[in-house]
Amino acid sequence: MTILNAKNLTKTFGKKTALAQIDLDIPRGRIIGLLGPNGSGKSTFIKLATGLLVPTAGEITIDGVAPGVDTKSKTSYLSERTYLNGWMRVNELLAFFEDFYQDFNRIKAENMLKDLNINPNDRLKTMSKGTKEKVQLILVMSRSAELYLLDEPIGGVDPAARDYILNTIITNYKEDASVIISTHLIADIEQILDDIVFISNGEITLTSSVDEIRETHNQSVDGLFREVFKC
Amino acid sequence: MKWYIDSDRPIYKQLVEQIELRIISGFYAPGDKLESVRELAMDAGVNPNTMQKSLAELERMGLVFAQRTSGRFITEDLKVIEEAKKTIAVQEIGAFLEKMKKLGLDKLEILALMEKVAEGENQNDDIKR
Amino acid sequence: MLTKLLKNEIKATGRIFLPLYGALLILTIVTKLALTFGAPDFFSDNVATNPFMEVVIGISFTLYFIAVVALSVMTLVMIIQRFYKNLFTDEGYLMFSLPVKTWELVISKLLVGLMWSAVCTLMFVVSFFILSLGSFTMMDLTQGISAAYTDYSNTFGASLNVLIFEIIIFGIVSTVASILMIYVSIAIGQLFNQHRIVASFGAYIVITIAIQIISSIVMAVFAISNLDTVISQGNDIQAMEMMHWIINVSTFLNVILCGAFYFATQYIMKNRLNLE
Repeated sequence: MTILNAKNLTKTFGKKTALAQIDLDIPRGRIIGLLGPNGSGKSTFIKLATGLLVPTAGEITIDGVAPGVDTKSKTSYLSERTYLNGWMRVNELLAFFEDFYQDFNRIKAENMLKDLNINPNDRLKTMSKGTKEKVQLILVMSRSAELYLLDEPIGGVDPAARDYILNTIITNYKEDASVIISTHLIADIEQILDDIVFISNGEITLTSSVDEIRETHNQSVDGLFREVFKC
Repeated sequence: MKWYIDSDRPIYKQLVEQIELRIISGFYAPGDKLESVRELAMDAGVNPNTMQKSLAELERMGLVFAQRTSGRFITEDLKVIEEAKKTIAVQEIGAFLEKMKKLGLDKLEILALMEKVAEGENQNDDIKR
Repeated sequence: MLTKLLKNEIKATGRIFLPLYGALLILTIVTKLALTFGAPDFFSDNVATNPFMEVVIGISFTLYFIAVVALSVMTLVMIIQRFYKNLFTDEGYLMFSLPVKTWELVISKLLVGLMWSAVCTLMFVVSFFILSLGSFTMMDLTQGISAAYTDYSNTFGASLNVLIFEIIIFGIVSTVASILMIYVSIAIGQLFNQHRIVASFGAYIVITIAIQIISSIVMAVFAISNLDTVISQGNDIQAMEMMHWIINVSTFLNVILCGAFYFATQYIMKNRLNLE
């Protein structure tokens, strides 16, 4: 069963090609790492899946449908930007998410806020960058979506919170849901991945399962990544 | 008990080994109920599918059995556990002998040294007491 | 979903506008009090009772004037900012991943922008009314209005209501058109990979010039010849007909502009979205 499918997916910005004829099939119930150096096209791919960008050629579908209202209601997207309005309080944000997403579980979100010592009455603009990222991830993971698209979810948070976040990711998705995580911090997330997709200069260079890589290359995905993308 | 996952070998194999060790060492007693896949995965910080695969492997080895509705249990067959213990011991000794050979020791020297070290350990234990 | 977007939009803008309206009302009342006690005959002879009151009146009038200007500017700024910042900067990542249709995003911004424009106008009317209280009676007001109606129908043989109605419709339509023109300029600006704000301004200027040219041509072709004859004959009724015609044609042109701006905005947002 496929949750996300890309056929011949291409995106160009002016003369620059960000993604070149990508074919990819992501089944349900998997955690997939979208790995590549900076500027390789990871974010572009995720933005195409969310409908924030429109393909130049080819197509991308989620559960068989091109990005739109229907797919947006079942994909939960964490952008690499902090997209939350500074003037809002965390509580107001919870209400906002509850309002727009039917699959949002407020109790879950409140529990996670408590675990990470975030006061729901605080305004976003008084928070550090790391805390904002945590709030954003909590909002995203408190939805019971079919597909999670996490763009650099652990970039700015401290190692302790990182562990909590990774645990949140592996425990919070439904069994038939999939999680796509884009990152270049591979060593930290390698253990929670099923499969990896290496992406470089807008092209997919390798798709494999993590254990397959360890078995055939006798090294970790992180090790292989460093070898493949050696500067 | 802490989970430890190193970098180069398949994660599911490492999980199998560590659960096996928990069974042999008595951390899990025969007949104990195992935590759910998700709980184990969260505890070890690994993907639930990977944990699932490891448990399937343990089932295949006969160390764990599944009951359709109530979950997974540690085998009550002590022979299987004993067998597993022996297998690991043999493997470890094999690896140890390999290393000793590289150091240029022959079988007798190794045995003699081992006895001496084991005795020393006993004496140490005596002193502690 | 549209109602949810509207609710959110009103919440986000209300927290700025309500305090401003409050400030305007307070300043109106303060100015009115200063006038009542400091210069009771302000509207007839414009003289303060003493130098101290003169200063007080001066300050309160200045503050009042600043509040009026601030409100007008703020209304415009909010219309631009809510569309640009909320949709085309980082906040857009959230807004465009909501399960809502693109047109709902545009319409929610437009309706709330329109609402604040209307509220702003209404607040000015209320404020001026409060300030001028006492300089006339309710009787004067009603008499003045009915006199205008009688005059008008005597001169032109028609009800003033028609003209007022046409002007109101024109006002609404042209306000919508000017808001949508800002939107389409911003949408065009974000098509560029760099200097998006500059590009938006550029687009706005280009559209303004294009509209100027088109409307002058339309007016020149259809109106000028008629206007000459009307003026030379000095016929009031014909002049008024001309007036109706100009208003209605302008309304019609603005409706076309609204349609064009709206669909262009929506097309760009749907098919050419290009968040940084």
